[in-house]
Amino acid sequence: MKVAAPLIGIGLAGLAGSAMAMLGVAVGASQEDAFPHAEHQGLFPLCIGCHEGIPSGDRSDWYPEPAGCVGCHDGVDREEVSWTGPSDRIHNVLFDHAEHEAELAEVDDSSPECAACHIEPGGGRMEVAVDIQVGTCWGCHAHETEEHYDVDASCETCHVPLASTGFATARIEALPRPPSHEAEDFVLEGHGDLAPGRTGLCATCHTRERCVSCHVDTDVEEIAALPSAPSSMVLPPTEASYPEPVSHTDSRWLEVHGPEAAVGECSTCHTTDDCRSCHVSEVPDVVASLPRRADVVAPGATIEPGGPDSHTSLFFMQAHSALAAADQRGCETCHVQQFCVDCHDAEVGGGYHPPNFMVRHSGDAYGRDSECSNCHEPQAFCQACHVDIGLSGSRTVAAGYHDGSPVWLLQHGQAARQNLESCASCHRQVDCTRCHSTLGAFKVSPHTSSFDAERAWLQSPRTCLACHVGNPTGGDGP
Amino acid sequence: MLLLVCGLALWFPTRVTGQSYRGWLNSSAHMVELRPVGVDSVARADVVTDADGRLFFDGYPVTCEGDQCTGLLPLPKERIFAVTQDASVTYWGLGVQGLSATALVRLRTGFGGDAAWPRYDDELDVMLGYAQLVRGSLRLRVGRQEVRSGLGFAGFDGVSGSFDPGRLRAEIYGGRSLARGLREPSNEAARALSDFFIDHGVYLVGGAATVREFGVSVTGRYHREILADRSGLESERASLDFSTTVPRMRIRGSIDYDFAFRRPGKGELTISAPFDGGTWLMELSGRRYVPYFQLSTIWGFFEPVSYSEALARLAWSGNRTLAAWVAGGARTYGETETGIFLQALEDTGWRADGGLRWEPRDRWSVDATYQMEWGPGAFLQSGDVSARHQASDRLRLGLTLATFQQIEEYRLGQGRAFGFGGTVDYRIGERMDALAGFSITRHRDGGSIYTSPWNQTRAWTSLRWTVGGDPGRANRRGRR
Repeated sequence: MKVAAPLIGIGLAGLAGSAMAMLGVAVGASQEDAFPHAEHQGLFPLCIGCHEGIPSGDRSDWYPEPAGCVGCHDGVDREEVSWTGPSDRIHNVLFDHAEHEAELAEVDDSSPECAACHIEPGGGRMEVAVDIQVGTCWGCHAHETEEHYDVDASCETCHVPLASTGFATARIEALPRPPSHEAEDFVLEGHGDLAPGRTGLCATCHTRERCVSCHVDTDVEEIAALPSAPSSMVLPPTEASYPEPVSHTDSRWLEVHGPEAAVGECSTCHTTDDCRSCHVSEVPDVVASLPRRADVVAPGATIEPGGPDSHTSLFFMQAHSALAAADQRGCETCHVQQFCVDCHDAEVGGGYHPPNFMVRHSGDAYGRDSECSNCHEPQAFCQACHVDIGLSGSRTVAAGYHDGSPVWLLQHGQAARQNLESCASCHRQVDCTRCHSTLGAFKVSPHTSSFDAERAWLQSPRTCLACHVGNPTGGDGP
Repeated sequence: MLLLVCGLALWFPTRVTGQSYRGWLNSSAHMVELRPVGVDSVARADVVTDADGRLFFDGYPVTCEGDQCTGLLPLPKERIFAVTQDASVTYWGLGVQGLSATALVRLRTGFGGDAAWPRYDDELDVMLGYAQLVRGSLRLRVGRQEVRSGLGFAGFDGVSGSFDPGRLRAEIYGGRSLARGLREPSNEAARALSDFFIDHGVYLVGGAATVREFGVSVTGRYHREILADRSGLESERASLDFSTTVPRMRIRGSIDYDFAFRRPGKGELTISAPFDGGTWLMELSGRRYVPYFQLSTIWGFFEPVSYSEALARLAWSGNRTLAAWVAGGARTYGETETGIFLQALEDTGWRADGGLRWEPRDRWSVDATYQMEWGPGAFLQSGDVSARHQASDRLRLGLTLATFQQIEEYRLGQGRAFGFGGTVDYRIGERMDALAGFSITRHRDGGSIYTSPWNQTRAWTSLRWTVGGDPGRANRRGRR
């Protein structure tokens, strides 16, 4: 037998039928309609007598009219029958008798007999089998790969896309799961590598809905090329799966993911909403380019907002100020200014100072760990309370303070230069200028030998005049 | 501004988590019961004289004239209440890409006594209130805002803009300066307290530039405050902050400089190095501290000296149930150029502290710390033990015991305070938390002179309701 190129199509069609047979998926029509061919073998010399339309492609003549049965089954000689012919076949095989015959004719090949495909080898005349005999196809055609479900197979050669089949849900669920799909990284990496240029292969068992049930980037070329299921097709339920890539398990991932971000990399699983769960400032272009969750079917790999690894350090609270000062942008990715103010401006019950901080704040203030003057005016903030509670001697020099030392005034200079914030938290400035002023009692200079009076006058003459009459440097007055 | 932002939040539909609105309401109330100290008079007949001829009433020193003696004596017990209501909201999605509005308002009131909390006569503060527009690398912010930097926190009513294309960031800002922490114009904040208040407004201008390259981030900042009549400066400073992570080590540092007085300010260099797979963490720091005062006060002209301190901290976390740390430091103060009368005061200091965290069972944790500090005019020693129990997903209980010696600089005192307290933290809902606590402190061995009685009872409660999405809030959960 001469094997002509067009025959390949026929053979592959048979191969597909074979596949279905392996799965127990009947290619044939509803079997309750099956005609008892063997019982009628003496009556019909040719297949074409009843199935004239099959080779010609005339669908109205595929099967004989049931009325023709009455000729014999008249209820007198033979019982009446109610055979109405088979209903339409539902299959996904890409095969057309008429086209096949025409192609064979073009290459001047004789059309195979009907029995070649429809009667089992060795079967008697008109012992028509339920399923087609795919072995016939192999006579002319060879499969491209050894394994029927090999990833290199061209399924679309013999099969129509699932979207075109009209398969019921159960039948879709019964479609085979190729070995390639069992690979550990098939969801994460494998299927994406296979899909380009092989959408026909994917479409045999999948519709676009399967892709977009996980993918948020529905404009990917391969996904867009896949046909959608018609509204009448009820697809099996699918559950989105988002395995975590290895890169994401790096403890520093949150800190380094920015430069790695690219639309093509992130948009498979993430919507722009995911990024904006943490990014509160103007988002990078990549983030802006990702699809919005509201516009996609897939749930996307939802991100729970969380801090980077550095935030879990035992000493992060001590270190965060320096880190923030050096790189404010890093903080502003996730935090708005009010987040900082929430603690740093909290006077009562806030997060910066613990709720009962007031009891023991003097220890922190003394060690300058808190650097009180960064946030508080010593005079305006500290004095009022210290005076009210009696920790400040009503802004006077009184017994009971400063060690109760009678010579404290003669010693206080060193203490003042070392802890001037403490002085300012209780004393008014006039407490000092009573002595440290050109108008004061003792006219004691509070300045060191290195004091740059000219510069002080230049910067803030108003303050100089608190103690001096006129320009203390001898220059022009104010 | 708050009403405007709330109105916008209601008007515009909620969007995605990070891009809709977020905010919170926090209501808190505090109570303290104590005995203030004040000038009081007693009859001469009730006063005793010690061997040195000094006069005391009930252990407190007094001075007498005739039959009347006066001194700083404990006054009648006061019970004082303070109530704070904070409301904060930030809203995005105003119909203009990149536009958002933020407001944070604080209401306060206090009653029951004079010795209230700081600023409780200031009943309303707009802490923040600004509109922000972000377009690409540009950010513009208008309104009441704050710049946080190595120079401290600077609030102002004005405009700020930043340009951040990636490895570089530039920022400028300016406006009417607000007194630190007070949210009032600098010239008004201290009017009632300061003798030399400035009678002009203060304008603030500043800028910063950040470079991020080769794993190093460096920020330089310049900050200048000038009187509105341009008759003088309020401050002129600059700072340099940097941070870098090298293999197995993180280094960060900062330094600032006061141009007005032409002298360096604070500075710090810290090296953190984990080793043995993170089981140990060693941290070494060098630190220089000198307080900063604005030029409108005389304090800066009195030339405070700096102290330089070396600190070392070692932390260990060998397993999931136990972690401990110890730290120590020593500091020395600069030359004060003051005369010595009889004897010099201390010019060095040191401190040591340590602690451990133990989680013997799931949902239980115990923290213990000990701290000792000695320096010019003061000595502190304190120990704390606290236990926490996560009774359920919603309820957390805490109990604290403490003993400490209160620092009151250059005041004699042998007294030691003992205290205990408890906290209850209850999550009412996913977005609502309640906190309540109390502490009772009692002064013991207080027979020494010049020591104010440290007998206090405090209680507090707060209710916090978070609205909208807030990744920042989520990050903080569990570290409260």
